[in-house]
Amino acid sequence: MKKSKKALALLMAATMTMGLAACGSEDEGDKTTPTPQGSSGNQGDSTEKKDVTLTVWGPSEDQNAEQGNWLPTMCDKFNAEHPEWNITFKYGVCPEGDAGAMVSQDPTASADVYMFANDQITTLINANAITKLGGETADYVKSTNSEAIVNSVSVDGNIYGVPFTTNTWFMYYNKSIFSEDDVKNLDTMVSKGKVAFPLNNSWYFASFYVANGCTLFEDGFNEAAGIDFAGDKAVAVTNYLIDLVANKNFVNDADGAGMAGLRDGSIGAIFSGSWDYNSVKEALGDNFGAVQLPCITINGEAKQMKAFAGSKAIAVNPNCKEPQVAVALARYLGSPEAQQSHYTSRSVVPCNTELLKQDSVKNDALVIAQNNTFNNTSIIQPFVSAMSVYWDAAVNMANGIINGDVTHDNATEMTDSMNAAMNNNGL
Amino acid sequence: MKKTTSYKAKKRTVNILVHVLLAVLAIIWIFPIAWVIMISFRAEKGSYTSSFLPKSFTLDNYKKLFTDTTVLNFPKMFMNTLIIAIFVCIISTIFVLAVSYCMSRLRFKVRKKYLNIAMILGLFPGFMSMIAVYYILKAIGLSEGSMVRVALIMVYSAGSGLGFYIAKGFFDTIPKALDEAAFLDGATKFQVFTKVTIPLSKPIIVYTVLTSFLGPWLDFIFAKVICRANADYYTVAIGLWRMLEKEYIDNWYTCFAAGAVCISIPIAILFIYMQRYYVEGLTGAVKG
Repeated sequence: MKKSKKALALLMAATMTMGLAACGSEDEGDKTTPTPQGSSGNQGDSTEKKDVTLTVWGPSEDQNAEQGNWLPTMCDKFNAEHPEWNITFKYGVCPEGDAGAMVSQDPTASADVYMFANDQITTLINANAITKLGGETADYVKSTNSEAIVNSVSVDGNIYGVPFTTNTWFMYYNKSIFSEDDVKNLDTMVSKGKVAFPLNNSWYFASFYVANGCTLFEDGFNEAAGIDFAGDKAVAVTNYLIDLVANKNFVNDADGAGMAGLRDGSIGAIFSGSWDYNSVKEALGDNFGAVQLPCITINGEAKQMKAFAGSKAIAVNPNCKEPQVAVALARYLGSPEAQQSHYTSRSVVPCNTELLKQDSVKNDALVIAQNNTFNNTSIIQPFVSAMSVYWDAAVNMANGIINGDVTHDNATEMTDSMNAAMNNNGL
Repeated sequence: MKKTTSYKAKKRTVNILVHVLLAVLAIIWIFPIAWVIMISFRAEKGSYTSSFLPKSFTLDNYKKLFTDTTVLNFPKMFMNTLIIAIFVCIISTIFVLAVSYCMSRLRFKVRKKYLNIAMILGLFPGFMSMIAVYYILKAIGLSEGSMVRVALIMVYSAGSGLGFYIAKGFFDTIPKALDEAAFLDGATKFQVFTKVTIPLSKPIIVYTVLTSFLGPWLDFIFAKVICRANADYYTVAIGLWRMLEKEYIDNWYTCFAAGAVCISIPIAILFIYMQRYYVEGLTGAVKG
């Protein structure tokens, strides 16, 4: 009896100290916004080597010898370039898209430097798991990236990460089925051959509505503005989609149907991203084509479809013991050299403006398609908290259109209820 | 005369109906398993094929699963899970049997209360305490490096003492007379447990061993929360889940099926080995 009481007391004490420790570091994190110094500033005291241990998290592909071992190679190079530090690296596996969940689970026991997809930014800020970058690093991010990319890693004017690639989807097509003129308009395409589109995937679904002037949080950053998928402009799109789904040349791309069709030649175009590049290239061979999104014709006018776009970036954890080293490493991992090496080893499309001007990069079909999409046919995927209700509402609407619940007769009503669902803040 | 034929005919129609129904149910139940096995041998790539049956078969999916460790190191995950499962199996079987024996045979003050508490605690889903468990493990230094395995073993086996109800019910059916006879012969309580109760309760031991062995293979959520970025200690459940993410699904879908088939192998072996004990039971324990 006594023993168990003692054990219980110990356990409670342990959990309480844990709680306190967590609180303590949170406070600290708020205060310390590390102002990083450029590498040149540190060279003065290079006589004394400082021992530093850094934990770095990235996707497993970047830590794999057969795919170039990008992350460890870059980290070692960084260590070699900085004689003033003697850095021991520890690596962990965390795909960019999982960073929000994995790092915010316990920021105090997470990586000092990690890679994240920009839609996770709000989660990470709320968990106090990401540092505002200031001074030189912020200027560096601003000066080496397009404005859209800078915006994708900024919240309230503060920059939270060093971007290294864009993240969006575009169109792959079979050149033997569609000509370069055909792929400019989706309606021309479906009159000539089969097209697969993942309509009931909300990441793709919004592109049609945005084409006809619907907006999400105005420019994506004004949470109070809400989602505007209402009125005649939205109903016109709903009606367009009902006709599109009824077209025998339109296939809803679910469970990999599009890729399978591309392989056996029954489907001429799919919408996907750089992660499917190798599979598509293998399936199409010389007929491989990749291009920005097509237009759609609504009420006789051509309207440009617009994809959700974002970026992937490198973040620094505010709980890091050596913020100066961590920020310098983050900046290095987002540098043109690192992006170039990432592109060579794994075809990760770079986003550095200087690098994109180089011939070896700018003539690549994948880079052209992804960057044209990012620059011309996309909007920044909103990452304000209210965005979280969008996803399910969009899937429900898309499923309604596909299975015929949404018809021309009730299009207005159904569009209105979709808009209401997207703006439902749960109260 | 007429009566017997109609009776026979009736019996036959009933039998036919029953067998048709059973056949249909058997197909429904077995079909998904057969389909997964078929997919695991499919030569065409991708997650979707236009034809229902694979056009050609290959062993490459299994080969890739065990040799292509570039992105997802399946052999390592498999070994991790196997090691964890073996330890969990041993620890929690001992726990469950010991607790059940105490609850069934011993009488002590808090017994009734304990039974109630265990029942109520058992009603809460385990993952409710997930984050708390993570922080406790972190506080005692089990959340990093090779200690992750120890942490997972603890997580899967520690709570098993609560799952004693079925085994206790079984022990209750073993006649007390046997215990008393042993006591008269001078046996201690522990000897009664090991020499009398355990040999008589093989079916429930088999059941306990199998369920506790299965736990680590099937659990996803605890493994995910505790392993986090420690990819070297991932279990198969995390690996299989990763294979279905959008970056991997096209290349890894058939391997996913192969992986699903592979994890059923150790479980099947254990079951086949233990199956013979299922039939043995109380036969001939008490005479008269």
